[in-house]
Amino acid sequence: MSDASQKTGGPGYGLMGLTAATVLTALGAIFIYVPTEQTEGIVQRIMYFHVPSAWIAFFAFFVVFLCSILFLWKKEREWDIYAHASAEIGIVFCSLVLITGPLWAKPIWGVWWVWDARLTSTLVLWLIYVAYLMLRAQSEPGSIRAKYAAVIGIVGFLDIPLIHFSVLWWRTFHPDPKFITTQGLGTGNTTSMNITLLIAVAAFTLLYFLLMGLRVRLERMKDEIDRIKKERLYSH
Amino acid sequence: MDNLKYLFAVNVFVWGGIFVYVFSLIRRNHSLKKDLDLLKETLKKDSAHE
Repeated sequence: MSDASQKTGGPGYGLMGLTAATVLTALGAIFIYVPTEQTEGIVQRIMYFHVPSAWIAFFAFFVVFLCSILFLWKKEREWDIYAHASAEIGIVFCSLVLITGPLWAKPIWGVWWVWDARLTSTLVLWLIYVAYLMLRAQSEPGSIRAKYAAVIGIVGFLDIPLIHFSVLWWRTFHPDPKFITTQGLGTGNTTSMNITLLIAVAAFTLLYFLLMGLRVRLERMKDEIDRIKKERLYSH
Repeated sequence: MDNLKYLFAVNVFVWGGIFVYVFSLIRRNHSLKKDLDLLKETLKKDSAHE
């Protein structure tokens, strides 16, 4: 059997079990362990979904950036598959950021949305990678499509440093980072808040790898079906 | 109490969204696996006839 068919295995039960256990631990920490923040009240717990979603979206787009560079350099389909899979997952988590942000903002700021630098640059990031997926969906499969997608994947990532530093460079509604601060890691939060945040980030990270396993498997199976169909066509 | 309901609704929405995506991937994986197995079976039958 070909290499491609051997690579169509998905994520193992071990990863699924570990992800489920970490997600449950995170939910326990968010709703039972961590004390309610005094200023914002119980609504502040949305942070434990919002911040990990943002971190995973950024990580997913970093993987797109890295795999796109590797694809342009090595011209191997494998890197294109990883970039495509990670972009789709990045969009899912970036959408969660853009939804949980306004849901958190409304009871605290009194408005769903403001056009400040952090929110606007995050929306721009989402639009860039939606364009990336639209380009892939609308054009013919092949190396030209992969090259154009790789260029968007690389250029789009440049928005992420802008998003991170936007709250420091400009006056924004969005609060400053509470975990990665200029005074050191985690100095903006209490210990229990940092622990809960780290568990939630671990759960979302495992979820990312689980989704990557499923999404990459899907793309490899599509390739395998195309290869068999082409072989049959040329053999007749 | 209202805020607790609100937080619960946000939580259901977030995890609901993630699970919809996970199950859509699992469903698409099963469907493609079926297609792939069928194609391989057809190929095997074709080569047996030749």
